[in-house]
Amino acid sequence: MSSATLEIQGISRRFGEVVALDELNIKIKPGELVALLGPSGCGKTTALRIVAGLESTDSGHVLLRGKDMTEVSANHRNMGMVFQAYSLFPNLNAEENVAFGLQMRKVPKLNRLTKARELLEVVGLNTQAKRFPHQLSGGQQQRVALARALAIEPDVLLLDEPLSALDAQVRANLREEIRRLQLSLGTTTLFVTHDQEEAMSISDRVGVMNNGRLEQIASPDELYNKPATAFVASFVGLMNRLPGVLNSQIVEVLGQRISVAENDLANGAVKVLIRPERVSVIQKTGENNAKVITRSFLGASSRIICEMRDGTVIQSLVASAGTGSLNPGDEVKLVIDEHDVLVANV
Amino acid sequence: MANMRKRGLLVPITLTACIIFITLPFGSATEFSFRDGGKTKHSLAAYRWILAQEDFLHYLGVSFRLALGAVLITLVIMVPTVAWLHLKAQRFRPLMEFLTLLPLVVPVVALAIGAQSALPEALQSSEYELSFMYVVLAMPYTYRALDIGMSAIPLKTITEAARGLGASWIKAITFVIAPVIRNAVVGSLFLTLALSLGEFTLTSLLHWDTFPTWVTSVSQQNIIGAIALSVFSLAAAFFLLFAIGLVTMRSKSDATEGQK
Repeated sequence: MSSATLEIQGISRRFGEVVALDELNIKIKPGELVALLGPSGCGKTTALRIVAGLESTDSGHVLLRGKDMTEVSANHRNMGMVFQAYSLFPNLNAEENVAFGLQMRKVPKLNRLTKARELLEVVGLNTQAKRFPHQLSGGQQQRVALARALAIEPDVLLLDEPLSALDAQVRANLREEIRRLQLSLGTTTLFVTHDQEEAMSISDRVGVMNNGRLEQIASPDELYNKPATAFVASFVGLMNRLPGVLNSQIVEVLGQRISVAENDLANGAVKVLIRPERVSVIQKTGENNAKVITRSFLGASSRIICEMRDGTVIQSLVASAGTGSLNPGDEVKLVIDEHDVLVANV
Repeated sequence: MANMRKRGLLVPITLTACIIFITLPFGSATEFSFRDGGKTKHSLAAYRWILAQEDFLHYLGVSFRLALGAVLITLVIMVPTVAWLHLKAQRFRPLMEFLTLLPLVVPVVALAIGAQSALPEALQSSEYELSFMYVVLAMPYTYRALDIGMSAIPLKTITEAARGLGASWIKAITFVIAPVIRNAVVGSLFLTLALSLGEFTLTSLLHWDTFPTWVTSVSQQNIIGAIALSVFSLAAAFFLLFAIGLVTMRSKSDATEGQK
């Protein structure tokens, strides 16, 4: 399989008054898997469709291996795509579906069927080769669609929320399978999803989009621990938003004075963004500042929701060991870990 | 209990009434067509008379040729047009629905003259202009058959999938869209064929001779022969429908076999 560099350069797209994409810039390295993550209507699918050639742009370029593909029609781009909706051809069986792209490329019948069987074996469906789409489950259909997209040895693999119609267990399995295949074949991949767990678990980098703009593109670790904007911070993972006061890069929150990264904010009232796992719950200190409202056991960790004296609600994620004695109504002290605290405008 | 019994009887009674309604006139006409000179004696005289008419095969051939022309035009123009409407111009579908109803509303005289003047001059002097006219006349039915067929499948997604896999528009229509909506295409083609084979008014207005106009003229010479011709036409149409149904069913069962 071939690996190619994919560049999206300054792409903008409007639908009437709605700005779907606003100067989108992304460069994907050969063999890299990049996910575009964002809420519904943020423009991620439009971006994918423009890369696939299924949608036109108002401005900007799509480059593949440095070659401008913006005006190249979808059937000449050599990009494999897996759609959200089941997109198998209902008149063809699994094997014929996988072989379709090769048929369009005039590959001799014997060769294309051999290749189709190989790919069906790779996705674990070699025994279902003669089955028609309506005889396959949702997960099996998406596996066939994946094999079909890979059969043409695409320069880029495009995945448009391919797991969203599947149930949780199948989704988790197929997600791992996509990553395994992508890594073994080294295919450059652009993956669109609104599910952050999906994006964070299998991507090399994740681009968070909002209102047609790319807010941040970074590794899952960096995105989670060092979100560039308040939107990214609140969209990726859970985040407490607490009132605080900023004064010369020092923010005062929950009675603690914490130094924060350099920013453009004016001194005064700000919102302080803190991950739940950065909030520790300490029992029996004599300096209690909050009351436990609920405790949810999640296995290795527990989620504890507390209320401050001023009514602010804070969520904490702590190791389950040692929290067994915490009960709703207990007085506790909440302490913020001074790392990775973000501030934003009120 | 009594209600259930009544409901149980309703289906066979309705079915029997429908069968009688459809078969009685056809059966009576068939029986009459076998009468020998209007007597109670039966023979194949009327059918022998049909075959003796030297123009019989000629006009039957003309009608079939024109009907096949209409089928071809429907296949080449209507299928891609309806597909394009579904894929790229959904907002024009209500307008198209209205336009395709016009052949039912506009009087045939106006349609004949209007449509003829819209055709290229070379075609106006050829009998093949009738093929185009037949397509227009069949449009209220063919459009709806194709429209329903395309509405029932995820047309946009499978077309985009085909395009992404390297299919040109023509290949996407030929290899994906048309086979997927095969039943709708076959249905619309049959409607075009049936309408074309039986069309009389417009053909007569445009002064062309086809099988239906020939039947009308010869029926004045031999009334039993005319009935025999009608029975023959109807039987031919039934046979055609049966053959198309058989082909469609066989394709389906082939697909099912492949699934096992």
